[in-house]
Amino acid sequence: MKVLIIEDDPSLREIMSRVLKQEGYVVEVATTFAEADSKVAGFSYDCILLDIMLPDGNGLHLLEHIRALGKRENVIIVSARDSLEDKVYGLENGADDYLPKPFHTAELVARVRSVLRRGRTAGELALSMGNVVLRPDSRSVQVAGEPLALLKKEFDILLYFMQRPHHMVDKTVLAEAVWGDYADDADNFQFVYAQIKNLRRKLSQAHATIEISAVYGFGYKLSEKEE
Amino acid sequence: MHLFSRMVRNLAVVLVLLMALWAMLFYYAMVDEIRDEADDSLEHYSSMIISRVLAGREFPQIGDGSNNSYVIKPVSVEYASQHSHLTYHDENFYIAEKGEEEPARVITSIFSDNEGQYYELRVATPTFEKDDLFGAVAIWIVVLYVGLLFIVLIVTALIFYRNMRPMYELLNWLDSYNPGCKIKPLPDMSRIREFRKLGDALQRAIDRSEELFSRQAQFIGDASHELQTPLAIIGNRLEWLMNSESLSQQEAAELYKINQTLSRAVRLNKTLLLLTKIDNHQFPKSSDVDIVDQVKECVESYGEVFESRGISFEMDLPEQYVVHINESLASTLVSNLIKNTYIHAPENSSAKVEICSGVLTVSNAGDAALNADHVFDRFYKSSKQHTSTGLGLALVAAVCRYYDMPLEYEFNQGRHLFKVKL
Repeated sequence: MKVLIIEDDPSLREIMSRVLKQEGYVVEVATTFAEADSKVAGFSYDCILLDIMLPDGNGLHLLEHIRALGKRENVIIVSARDSLEDKVYGLENGADDYLPKPFHTAELVARVRSVLRRGRTAGELALSMGNVVLRPDSRSVQVAGEPLALLKKEFDILLYFMQRPHHMVDKTVLAEAVWGDYADDADNFQFVYAQIKNLRRKLSQAHATIEISAVYGFGYKLSEKEE
Repeated sequence: MHLFSRMVRNLAVVLVLLMALWAMLFYYAMVDEIRDEADDSLEHYSSMIISRVLAGREFPQIGDGSNNSYVIKPVSVEYASQHSHLTYHDENFYIAEKGEEEPARVITSIFSDNEGQYYELRVATPTFEKDDLFGAVAIWIVVLYVGLLFIVLIVTALIFYRNMRPMYELLNWLDSYNPGCKIKPLPDMSRIREFRKLGDALQRAIDRSEELFSRQAQFIGDASHELQTPLAIIGNRLEWLMNSESLSQQEAAELYKINQTLSRAVRLNKTLLLLTKIDNHQFPKSSDVDIVDQVKECVESYGEVFESRGISFEMDLPEQYVVHINESLASTLVSNLIKNTYIHAPENSSAKVEICSGVLTVSNAGDAALNADHVFDRFYKSSKQHTSTGLGLALVAAVCRYYDMPLEYEFNQGRHLFKVKL
C-alpha cells in the first residue's frame, strides 16, 4: 500500500509519515504543489493525503488535476481551514474524506485505513478483528458468527476502537468522540468507565478474542487476546 | 429628557414671562391712552361751556347724549388766586340726572368773565364706562396672550419636527446598527447642510469601525488557522510518545497531562475559529430547522452525561418548532445552551428546557446570579470553572446576534434562565 503525503510543514510531514510507516504503509512525501503534481502524474498511489494550503498553489486544484488524469487514487484532504465550503467542494470534486487539522494520529490512521478498505472492498464496510465483525452501516456486531447485542454508546465505543486497533485511545479523546466536546469537563469520567466496563463484560461473555485494556490509567487500547 | 419636550418647556417658560410682561405694558399703555382721550374730551366740553358763558349764551342741556354733567359757581378772587386754574382728579360726583353720587373723572377750571367775576366750572364724566373699557381690554389681552402662546408653541413644535426629522431617522438608523452585521443604507441627509455633514461623519465613523471589526475578525481567524498546524504537530508527536512501549508510568502520566492541556488549547482554537466564522457571516445557507428535534437529539446524547452527575433533565416542548436558520448554527446554539447547564448545574439538581410562545428557555439551579452584563462575553468565567473554555455562551450570543434573536439572562428563584426569542 503506497501513500503520498502532500504537506508543506516539515515537522508535521515527518510525524505523519512516521506513523503511517509504522502501520506498514509505503510512504512518499511531496512538499510543494509542483512536486506533488509531478509525482501524481508520474506514479500511482493507493492513498493521497492532500494539504490544500500549499505555498505555491491550492491543493483543490491538484485534486482537479488528479481527476482530469483519470486516476482513481483515494484522496483525503487535510486542511487547517475547517470550512464547510472547502469540505463540500473537496468531496464534490472526488475527495474521499476530509480531515481537519489538528487531528489525532489514531484518527489519521483510521481514516486512511477506512478509505483504503472502502476502495478495496467496494462498499463492504465491515471491520473485523479476532473473531469479532462489526458492520457500521447496519450497526451490527457478530462474535464468532453469533450476533452480539450492544447499546448505542457501547456500539459507538467499539466502532471507535475497531477503527483504531492497537492504538492507545486517550479517554478524553474517546469521551469527546462518542459524547461530544463537553465531556472532558471536570474529572468526570464515570460514564466512560461504566460504558467500557459493560462493553468489556459483554465481549468476554460472548467469548470474543479481542479485549479493551487500560493503558497507564489514562487511556484504552483494543488488542487481540494472547492465548 | 426628550429634546422636544425640553425645548417646548424652555420655550414655554420664556414665553410665559416675556408675553406676560408685554401684555402688562400693553395694558397700561392702553389704559393711559384711554384716560388721556377721556381727559381731552372733558377739556373740550369744559372749554365749550366757558366760551358759551363768555359769549353770554345759554348753558348746554344736561343729558344731551353725553354722560357729562357739570356744575358752575362763582368764586372769590382769593379762591381763584389760591387754586390752580385747570385740574383733573377722580372723585365721587353728584350726578343730578341719576340723583346720586358716582365715581367720576372731574375737570375743574377757574375762569373770569369780562366783568372780572371768577367762576369755577366742574365737569364730570362717570368712570364706569372707562372701567368697562379697561375690563374689556384686559380680557382681550389675556385671551390673545393665551392664544398666541399656544399658537407659538404648536408652530414651533411642527417646525421642530419637520426640520429635525432627518435627525430622528439618523437616530433610528443608529439604533438598528450592529457591528459586523449587514448595514442598512444611511437615510438621505442631502436636504440640510448640517445633517448632511453629520451623516457624512457618521458614515465615515461606521466605515472605519466596520473595517476595524472585519480586520480584527480576520486576524483572529488567520491566527487560529495558523495555529492548527503547530497544534497538530504537537498532538501527533505526543501521541507517538504515548504509544511507545518503553514509557514509565510517571512519564506517561506527565504526557497525559500535557495532552489534556493541549486538547483544551485545540478546543479553544476551534471555538475561536467558529466565532470568527459566525462574525464573518460564513454560514450563508439557511433552511427550515425543527428546533424541537435539535433539542431532543442534544438532550438524548447528553443524557448519560447528565445522569453521571445526578442531574435530572426536564423537557417541556411543543410537537415541533420550525425556524429558518443555518442547521449547524442551530445545533451550536442549542448544544451550547444545554452544555452550559451541564457545566454549571450542581450535582443532583435539575435542569429544564422549554419552548413557550416562541421563546426557548434553558434553565438550571444555581447559587447566585451571574453578572448579566458580562455573562455572554468571551472568556467570561465564574470562579468555579477551570476547564471550560469560557466561550460557549459567547458562541450562543454570536449566533443570536447573527440572526437578530434577542438573548436574555436572568436569575430567578435560585435558577439561572437563558432565554432566546426564536
